[in-house]
Amino acid sequence: MNDNRPLDFGQFWYSLGKELSEVPIAAETETLPMRSTDFADLYGIHISSIGPYTIYGYLSIPKGDGPFPVIYYVPKNASVLEIIPQGTSNQIRSRYITFSLACRGMRTADSPYAAMYPGQLTEGIESLSSYIYRGVVADTLRGLDFLLTCPMIDKSAIVAWGNDNALLAGALHGAVTHIVSTPSFLYDTINQASRTSSYPLEEFNDYLRHNPERKGQISEILSYYDLRFHCSAITAESLIMADYDGGLFDKKTLRNLTENMNGAVTVHPSERSSYKDGMFCEKWITDKLFGKDATPIVPNHWKLE
Amino acid sequence: MGVDRDYRCRVTKPEDFNEFWGLVLDELSSIELNVECEKDELRSDSEVTVYQIFYDSLDHVRISGWYSVPNTPVNRLPAILLVPGYQSDPPIPKDWSAKGYACLSVNPRGKVRSRSQFDPGYPGLLTHRIVDKNTYSYRGFYADAWRGIDFLLSRGEVDSERIGVAGSSQGGGLAITTSAIRKEIKAASAGAPYLCGFMDAIELTDTYPYQEINDYLRTYPDRLEEVESTLAYFDGISFADQIDCPIIVNLGLQDNVCPPETGYALFETIGSKDKKLFEYEGHGHEAGRYVHSGIMDQFFDKHLKG
Repeated sequence: MNDNRPLDFGQFWYSLGKELSEVPIAAETETLPMRSTDFADLYGIHISSIGPYTIYGYLSIPKGDGPFPVIYYVPKNASVLEIIPQGTSNQIRSRYITFSLACRGMRTADSPYAAMYPGQLTEGIESLSSYIYRGVVADTLRGLDFLLTCPMIDKSAIVAWGNDNALLAGALHGAVTHIVSTPSFLYDTINQASRTSSYPLEEFNDYLRHNPERKGQISEILSYYDLRFHCSAITAESLIMADYDGGLFDKKTLRNLTENMNGAVTVHPSERSSYKDGMFCEKWITDKLFGKDATPIVPNHWKLE
Repeated sequence: MGVDRDYRCRVTKPEDFNEFWGLVLDELSSIELNVECEKDELRSDSEVTVYQIFYDSLDHVRISGWYSVPNTPVNRLPAILLVPGYQSDPPIPKDWSAKGYACLSVNPRGKVRSRSQFDPGYPGLLTHRIVDKNTYSYRGFYADAWRGIDFLLSRGEVDSERIGVAGSSQGGGLAITTSAIRKEIKAASAGAPYLCGFMDAIELTDTYPYQEINDYLRTYPDRLEEVESTLAYFDGISFADQIDCPIIVNLGLQDNVCPPETGYALFETIGSKDKKLFEYEGHGHEAGRYVHSGIMDQFFDKHLKG
């Protein structure tokens, strides 16, 4: 366990930002007519990140005149890149610009590096410089750089949505105005992994079972990514989707994150229902971006209440 | 307004359904299984041994999977075939083995680690070559999952009389087709079943993955008849009357991915006399997983360990 922020934490992230700034975004756009509708157009976007490495995203733009608020679906810890998350109403694309990004290793961004799942979270963890997550975070930030070049975005409403990477995006990139995040693996990682046998955290247990002597080094490397040490840099208004009470990342466990963020924070303990949790997210973001009188866009089967 | 529990889907089982799949199974049986099974030291632990496995399937596509067994020595083990969701990565099934089962978590073609020969991508898999039942992606995909039973039967530690199948979402749909086709299966659990009532689902939902079919039909509106004809051969509802093992089905009544109406229509069609439906009000596509996992454990304990 490592409860201290590394002394060169700021330098580490400054260096990454500098390296990223020296790589041209070099966006190349392809239209995807099959996934375009009468209310939104879809594009495939190739952009460059550090390495240099080419990553890929799906950009959906509503028909009509902008500017439009943005939902940025940050890279996941999974192989598949979706246009919008499974189960999200496709109509969401009529209201928001959506951008989902595959970081290095995910499908559509897996050349030359194809990540394994499990496997991605410990790839190259032998050293701080070789750890894959440095590139993953760079890719996540590069997605925001790209969005800022899109003329139709409403810069006052850019939501980073997803797992831990959404919080890292908010901490490390000033463009993010709102965050919806479900922390899953970058909060006190090794300690939390010791409390479970479920993946993705089990990946760290697997690694340490075979390399027990490396526990201190791994903890130190992970401390650069630990949300506890990034939270004070987050000023975006945030919704943290916590586990149910007693779960691995429950509200109590996440206190060191949520109580030290510098923007307004709502913490919602999971109700163990993807419907109830999903409704809460959709209502929250609609309320924040459009006001309390606006109606959230939800899937058909959530309109039955 | 609630969910219509009496909803019935428009799919009609094709007259030559059994002939079509019989030919597929004949073709499959002519291909050597050609099993490779290598212990994965990194993922194994004191309770469970994990293997990376491979076998050949239709069109000689190499299929991968995670196979795990409990370390506690026993004579013969009950076994589970775990079938995966649509866009999620197939899990390492240590949790099943910790409960005493040999378990194969299969990656059908196009999934991670089984995509070097076939990879229509996501979105893409659901409509890949959908205009012809003989070219449709799920012809091979289903066969890959069914062949997981042959892998389990090839394992000396597996009791061939105690094999079950479990999955949710696409895994729920695969649990339906697998238990219909493979009579070695003695118990099946299908959660939030996908791939059932396709043509109804694309009207009932406005979400991916079913939107892939709407995307396709918007692009090729003149192919509606061919698409509907193909999907009738692959619809879980067309398979369901052939299921005769004990089976449980769970539905979330606010499921935003696989509409519960199609789940009701499926359940009505299941041929088994030993079938039970669990409906979860206030739940979405997770279909009450947190409560239902205990019910699944009891179900498989009864039928595979009892």
